[in-house]
Amino acid sequence: MKKTKLLFTICALLFSALLNHAHSQEAPNQEWNQFRGAQRSGSTDNVDLTSFTDKEPKLVWKKKLGDGFSEITISGGNIYTMISERKDSITGDEFIAAFDEKTGNEVWRTRVDNMFFDTFGDGPRSTPAIGEKNVYSLSSYGKLSANSKKDGNTIWQVDFMKEYGSKIPRWGFSSSPVIVGNNVIVEVGGTDSRAFMAFDKKTGKEVWKKGEGIATYNSPVHGKINDKECIIFANGRKVYSLTTAGDTLWTYNSPISNPTGMPIVFDGNKIFISAVRNPGFIVLEVNNNKANEISRGTSMKNDYSSSIYHDGYVYGFHVAALQCISVKTGEKKWTKRGYGKGSLIRIGDQLLVLSDKGKLIQVKATPEAYIELGNIQAINGKSWTAPSFANGKIYLRNLTEMACYELK
Amino acid sequence: MKLKKLQAFFLFALFLTPGILVAQTAEEIITKHIEAHGGVEKWEKVEALKIKGRFTAFSLEKDFTSYKTKCGAYYSDLYLGEQHVFEGFNGKCGWTIDPWQEIEYARNINSSETNVFKQKAEFFTPFLNYKKKGHKVEYIGKENVDGEEMFVLKLTREDGKSEKWYLNTKTYLEYKCEAPWVDFAQPVPAEMYFDDFREVDGITVPFFIERTFWQRDRITQIESVELNPKIDKSLFTMPKRKEISKLTFMEGDWDVKLEFMGRRGTYRERGTTESCIKFASTNMLQEQISYENGFPNNLSINFTYDAGTKKYRIAAFNDFTSTFDMFQGELKDNVLVMEDTQISYSNKPNATRMCRQFTYTKIDNNQFTVENKVSTDEGKTWKPQARLTYTRKVEDTLSKK
Repeated sequence: MKKTKLLFTICALLFSALLNHAHSQEAPNQEWNQFRGAQRSGSTDNVDLTSFTDKEPKLVWKKKLGDGFSEITISGGNIYTMISERKDSITGDEFIAAFDEKTGNEVWRTRVDNMFFDTFGDGPRSTPAIGEKNVYSLSSYGKLSANSKKDGNTIWQVDFMKEYGSKIPRWGFSSSPVIVGNNVIVEVGGTDSRAFMAFDKKTGKEVWKKGEGIATYNSPVHGKINDKECIIFANGRKVYSLTTAGDTLWTYNSPISNPTGMPIVFDGNKIFISAVRNPGFIVLEVNNNKANEISRGTSMKNDYSSSIYHDGYVYGFHVAALQCISVKTGEKKWTKRGYGKGSLIRIGDQLLVLSDKGKLIQVKATPEAYIELGNIQAINGKSWTAPSFANGKIYLRNLTEMACYELK
Repeated sequence: MKLKKLQAFFLFALFLTPGILVAQTAEEIITKHIEAHGGVEKWEKVEALKIKGRFTAFSLEKDFTSYKTKCGAYYSDLYLGEQHVFEGFNGKCGWTIDPWQEIEYARNINSSETNVFKQKAEFFTPFLNYKKKGHKVEYIGKENVDGEEMFVLKLTREDGKSEKWYLNTKTYLEYKCEAPWVDFAQPVPAEMYFDDFREVDGITVPFFIERTFWQRDRITQIESVELNPKIDKSLFTMPKRKEISKLTFMEGDWDVKLEFMGRRGTYRERGTTESCIKFASTNMLQEQISYENGFPNNLSINFTYDAGTKKYRIAAFNDFTSTFDMFQGELKDNVLVMEDTQISYSNKPNATRMCRQFTYTKIDNNQFTVENKVSTDEGKTWKPQARLTYTRKVEDTLSKK
């Protein structure tokens, strides 16, 4: 009897573990369906990666890709990103494109705009967001498009420059849209209180508009502060918190000018914002719809690469040095140089760091010390796009190619 | 006895005076720092360095080659991203060709850049013979940088610009430096980090240098260091623009045969004179010539090239008229035609004005001819006036004038 009970208990535990494992594989945050992943935080939990030295990442595929810095988003067996292709030395096209997750083969591509040319690297900077039926993208010249996930057909398109008087920023429209309920919310930078707007995701019709300010490079955060759902925009020298209906919860005049890295919401009511110029970073605390700065420091200056928050510490690129700082005190815990202006994501308790020359480094996410668990030269050339992760695979992109590696 | 005790106390107090303590410590640190780099004796034998490796800017890694000499000259051929950049420095003045600034030719560097080129010209450490170079050093104290204890030294160059150097207290080698730098010719503060120290023929140098300023990141990865290589010193000299280089056939001392148009419409020889043509500055060729045509004419003729109009220009000063005359034109098929038909000094049209044209023909390395023509119909027709035939002087015919 006792043996039967023990056997039953073991079976129940194994089944439960199996269920949990299956759950972790199917959990929504296992998709990387928008800029910086499901939570827009650059992090995925419930995944234990083995060390690269124990099991070297296996190349699944590597493909040539049209120019661009757009992140790779993954959902439902396909991956989506934005690319561009030259026609000649001064003209070309910008596309939203879908590829097979397993093979990297192109499934479809749809032209959304003219190609964006730039001496630092051609192509789009914005990352598409994947909805249930459509994929939503913002082109370099400010065209917000909805395309069918199935075949890429254009459902609707809104031209910000034509419709709202938006002006193209130096490196093109770069903000990545976020899907909230029935709306697609994005920075527009238009005139007449059209800094930020929400569009009906089915029709593209304007739902609400808010704020003053030109288009910058920051993408909206969707999350909860003090258990209230909100959208955070960091535009110019102002931080906005809006309800999902576009009402202002609070604003804050920020000493951080034009951050490109994503603001990080942590501890339920705090926001970390960083940019490359002084003061480097600030931490805001929000109480009763009022934001107050509780700390600032120069030990983390994010340029275009966003930081990661994990257990009281921020991991990120301080210009070109991978660094860990205490979010409370700003104290630098460790620094690692040599990865240039790289990028990083967190998978469980590990950081996956992509150097600006395509080296993928596995690092323990701990403030104790820089502990490297392994590295591979995953891709070559200018790699300014942060990795994406879904279902045990990491997706990397440099200016002209993309690659998929199996990590588990 | 009391006096002796008092003397001892003052001596002890004097010993504790920070000035003395600091001076001794800074000197001692620098001595050990130079030893860590291979020692003074080894470095004294180094006259020049040739450094090759990979340089990363804007995340693109490309080859670079640099030369440095003991007298502070520096030259480098590198890529900033996709743009091919050249820079040179003779120890005092420098130049750069940097397509990022949308200037395709060599330009002189500004004072902030000069300070940067002085840093680039150092044999890695500025503390080697720092007193001879006119630098001053102050010991600031110890500081923890990235978990390591560092000696902090403030180095002030002879131009008054200062740098903060962090030397590892265990190795005495540099770890970090904070110094003024430039970004697109504008001054910015920079941080430099040094790593991967290796020995080359007895001297120790950092094979990895990372420099950050604003959001920029530059990485130098050295692959080879050659001691005392043969160096073509012309590398350090500011190169001429390629268009003005096409006029170097004129450079030198010349015998000039003078011919003026007679009433019968044929040239008549009117003796000879001398001409000296040389580069008054990198991109300005200057001719000094005197002749008599009734009255004495002393001319200073300056040749330049204008990239905007893609035309050569002459500004000629004649002391007989005491004014400048301007001409512009093109060099095509080995013929340089300069005229003033497009030059106007008045808003009103002048129907009677006389235009002039100078045509440089029969150009080779030892001879060329200049023909002067005039036009009273705005260049539709030209009448020859004078012809000057230049023949290069040989060594023994050079005028002692």
